Amino acid sequence: MLIRLLLFLLLVASTNILGESLYQFQNTADEERFYSLIKEIRCPKCTSGSLASSNAPVSEDIKKKIIELINEDKTDDEIRLFLSDRFGIEVLYDPGLNRSTYILWIAPGLFLFIALLIFFFRRKA
Amino acid sequence: MTVFLRLLILSISLSFFYFFYLYINEDKYYPGASFQTSNMPLFELEDLYSNKVITNFDIEEAYLINVWASWCITCRVEHGFLMKLSSQGIPIMGLNYKDDRNDAINWINKFGDPYKQIIHDIKGELALDMGVTGAPETFLVKDSQIIAHYRGEVNDMIWGDVFTPIINKENIFNAN
Amino acid sequence: MFIEVAQFLTILATGLFFLCFVFSVIFNVNDLNIINLISRIYSHSFLLFLFSFLIYVWLAITDNFSVLYIAQHSNTNLPVFYKISSIWSAHEGSMYLWIIFLSLWGAIYNISSKNDEPLKARTIGIISITTVGFLLFLLLTSNPFETILPLPPENGADINPVLQDPLLAIHPPTLYLGYVGFVIAFGQALAFLIEGDSNINWEKQVRFWSIISWSFLTLGITLGSWWAYYELGWGGYWFWDPVENVALIPWLAATALIHSLSASSKSSILRIWTILLSILVFSLSLFGAFIVRSGIIDSVHSFANDPERGLYLLAFIGLLVMMSLILFSYRFALLVSNKRIISLSKESFISINNILFGTLIFSTMLGVMYPLIYEYIYDQKISVGAPFYNAIFVPITLLACLFLFSSIESKWQSKSVIAFFNNPTLASFIFSLLITFISFKLYSVSKLWTLASLFIGSLIIFRYILVIYSYIFHKKFVNVYSVLAHIGLGLLIISIALNNDFSSERALNIKINETEIYKDHEITFDNLQLIDGPNYESVRADFIIESQNGNKFSLNPEKRKYFARGQITTETAIHASILKDIYITIGDQLDDGSWIVNVQFNYFIRWIWFSAALMIISGLFLARTIKRARQ
Repeated sequence: MLIRLLLFLLLVASTNILGESLYQFQNTADEERFYSLIKEIRCPKCTSGSLASSNAPVSEDIKKKIIELINEDKTDDEIRLFLSDRFGIEVLYDPGLNRSTYILWIAPGLFLFIALLIFFFRRKA
Repeated sequence: MTVFLRLLILSISLSFFYFFYLYINEDKYYPGASFQTSNMPLFELEDLYSNKVITNFDIEEAYLINVWASWCITCRVEHGFLMKLSSQGIPIMGLNYKDDRNDAINWINKFGDPYKQIIHDIKGELALDMGVTGAPETFLVKDSQIIAHYRGEVNDMIWGDVFTPIINKENIFNAN
Repeated sequence: MFIEVAQFLTILATGLFFLCFVFSVIFNVNDLNIINLISRIYSHSFLLFLFSFLIYVWLAITDNFSVLYIAQHSNTNLPVFYKISSIWSAHEGSMYLWIIFLSLWGAIYNISSKNDEPLKARTIGIISITTVGFLLFLLLTSNPFETILPLPPENGADINPVLQDPLLAIHPPTLYLGYVGFVIAFGQALAFLIEGDSNINWEKQVRFWSIISWSFLTLGITLGSWWAYYELGWGGYWFWDPVENVALIPWLAATALIHSLSASSKSSILRIWTILLSILVFSLSLFGAFIVRSGIIDSVHSFANDPERGLYLLAFIGLLVMMSLILFSYRFALLVSNKRIISLSKESFISINNILFGTLIFSTMLGVMYPLIYEYIYDQKISVGAPFYNAIFVPITLLACLFLFSSIESKWQSKSVIAFFNNPTLASFIFSLLITFISFKLYSVSKLWTLASLFIGSLIIFRYILVIYSYIFHKKFVNVYSVLAHIGLGLLIISIALNNDFSSERALNIKINETEIYKDHEITFDNLQLIDGPNYESVRADFIIESQNGNKFSLNPEKRKYFARGQITTETAIHASILKDIYITIGDQLDDGSWIVNVQFNYFIRWIWFSAALMIISGLFLARTIKRARQ
């Protein structure tokens, strides 16, 4: 029984050789930042899904790295940049505001504005 | 005005469907291949055999980096092709990923060594900096720039479709 | 042998459905005999098709592995319930179910509408040709009737253990029932446009069918969310995954439709919106089916990648939608009402609602399409996720709720002065302010959007409670179910906001017999054991939780390894109470023998399910009231 347990555990254990994966934070605000960040970082190995919903080995590695960076007082933006430099911008669920994404962020407001305009314009006519 | 709106609705819908038609028919490259260039990260890790510390090396102008491990089953499958590449003179650096040193050395002794040098990345730090998500993965590096990254096993077909075009374009490895 | 019968019946039904369509085109649809004929042919086609499906179900239950699909997705060890649900676990079978439901709605409409109803024949014709299109898709590209002969396997493949879950098993059927139910609105809208008689009041009946379909759609989406919550282990219930989004988009259009229908059924105002939405809801449902089955989107939800199927679906749906929109364009004049929309009338509020929902539909569609377009142009991947969708949905939904609140006093086709200082409006305002202030001071709710959601949600709830009050005590007529559904909405807004604000989690590092404290709860790692399951082996951790007021209970999360595919899954353990769920999953074991254990406190999550249930049940009861009025 015990041997089976041990064998099973070997199977489910991650490829974590050094075993130092403690989620230690300096304060609760940092802890909250972490849990909030991992929801918007994509798991690079999964078909879709955030780090929060993945326990793939690389996801665990990235999570530990994020904790490291948080404890080094890096800001959220710096952490996002760090990850997108290495895994591509597709690893961020927030595509950011830049020349190629302006249209994404502005279009909804524009749509609403134009629709309301048409609505009121047609009523006056 | 309403004529304009109606035409707008029709043309938007039509372009919508047309876009999907184009998208479905597009010849998709291999999803595991990426050609985004980035700088080869700086690192300081030990050589697998000796404890000699390696940092970024300039021994070759261009080389492959192959991410592998003794626990990685697909790597065993890929290994034969790497031996072939190496025999053709292609310089391949090995990145031993999150592997026990002895396990890795035994693996190489058993199956053969296609690598010019093997970096022992026990914590996966360099791998993380390179955007590695698992093994096997292969990078093409030229002048300290990563110019190609393939996630998955490299074989004749992948080598021909993914790596050969860019090798020829960048005119590296001379022959081949 | 039986499988060939099933296939034959399906082919026969396809032919007969096509006949219905042809008859509705070439014959005089106002002739009662013709209508009678078409109606009968449709009923018979449906029965033949239904019978083929029942045969298929029978083959699945009796483990007939000469059928390829059944061999690929079912297994003798499965309980009967899962043998049946394995039918819709992959592309071919779920498509089969989809079409059964499509024709089922047609059949129900066929039976319950009288033959002298002016648009009946054409509506059946349109439903029939839609069914034929999908049946051809099924038979030509996604055939569930393929056989493995002469040597069928002894046993089938094991289905993904993750799919062996009761909730997940009924999630697709309820969802499909919701989507394809809107074929009736679609058919009626097109029939109306073709017929060209603006006096026909088709909206009343369509409203009945649409509200029932909407309820099923809401149920389907809620079940999916609930399943994701307790199964996937990250404690969330909505991810803005592309496939979730393409399910949400028709729901948004459907919600706009049922509101627009209530305006159009009273007077022919807003017909342009109603017809457009009727076409849109069904089209968006089809678009969703296309996205999921064509392999365009990478998602855990999507079925197998197949460009050929994608192209067929694209062509069929494209044809259907473009022809509907061209018809809409051509007959536009028919829809223009001579009645103006009066300022601050209920109709004007519904128009604004349509615009706001339209914006949400547009934005969600944009978010789904953007990565595809970006990749097409720049050859580079990009992701659009929760940050974008939340930024759009939160302000617009709250805005829509504010308009909802303002609309409660409004009347049909007459201007109403929003008397801010009338008692109910003022009272609601004060109560809501009070609640928001109390939360801010006593419970330290400080995020702006949470406070706004709390305030606006309360406005809706209080105002509607006062409406019910005046219904009971002043006999002021109102549709109670509509009121309940909107109270459900207010509650949903509040629940989502509070869940987002209060919930928290921590990864504890704990050894057996150790106790850690999190959020005033003592968590003791009591035991670890190996369990033998029917088709899996699992490690089960036993935790004893004790809260500050002495409340004690145990939670037993597991890590399972399934024999058939060697898949490892984590099973969450949840302790539910009204205020919060305590939610535990096991992580990895470290070298020193300790375990990483994830503990989450999810607040108000039950309120979210309750709100959804309230809306669903109210919807179904509301539909019943429409039916009664009709008869």
